[in-house]
Amino acid sequence: MEQSPEIIAEVPRPWDRPIVSVPVLALLAIIGGQFPSFSMSANLYVMGTGGALFWLGLSNRMPKRPAPYRLGSGAAWWFVPLVIFWVFEAGTFALGSTDDFPTFSRLADPVLEDRLMRSLAYFAWLSAFWGLVRR
Amino acid sequence: MSVSRFIVICGFTVALALAAVIEWASRREGSRIPSLGDVCAYVMQYEVGRVPVGRLGMYGFWWWVGWHFFAR
Repeated sequence: MEQSPEIIAEVPRPWDRPIVSVPVLALLAIIGGQFPSFSMSANLYVMGTGGALFWLGLSNRMPKRPAPYRLGSGAAWWFVPLVIFWVFEAGTFALGSTDDFPTFSRLADPVLEDRLMRSLAYFAWLSAFWGLVRR
Repeated sequence: MSVSRFIVICGFTVALALAAVIEWASRREGSRIPSLGDVCAYVMQYEVGRVPVGRLGMYGFWWWVGWHFFAR
């Protein structure tokens, strides 16, 4: 007698739901936003959070979403913003990253001095890293 | 603000705005453009032997971005 194929439903783990992961990432971002640049605490914190996510991503502890088998020709569109960004970043870097020719990070530095903006940027960075870990 | 600074800011803004538009276009029904997440996932599949070079590179780059903006 032929058996019907099993239906495997992946049950998301409690900590893997947005209602858990978003507040955790927000809390980590708020804490990270309190450390000023060039401080030992900022270095240790970014190394710790990034290192933990790096390790999680390389381990097989995290369920990952399936990756596309191949990318269509439409993927080439992503080169447009990438090349524009690279041209300006490389150009300003080659010119010494001055006030007249600032690199992206030089433009971002005054914005990131504000703790709220720093925490928001931290949240974006951590969320994107979490997204990469899940891929 | 100098003209060169203005042009540089416009350049970065255009690049980021274009990325946002492409991401939006990728999420439309029947779009042939993959999302940025799909592109990253595709790149991260790349392996040399048993070494996940794509994943190591992507995580390493993103880790460096965080360090560059928040710590250095």
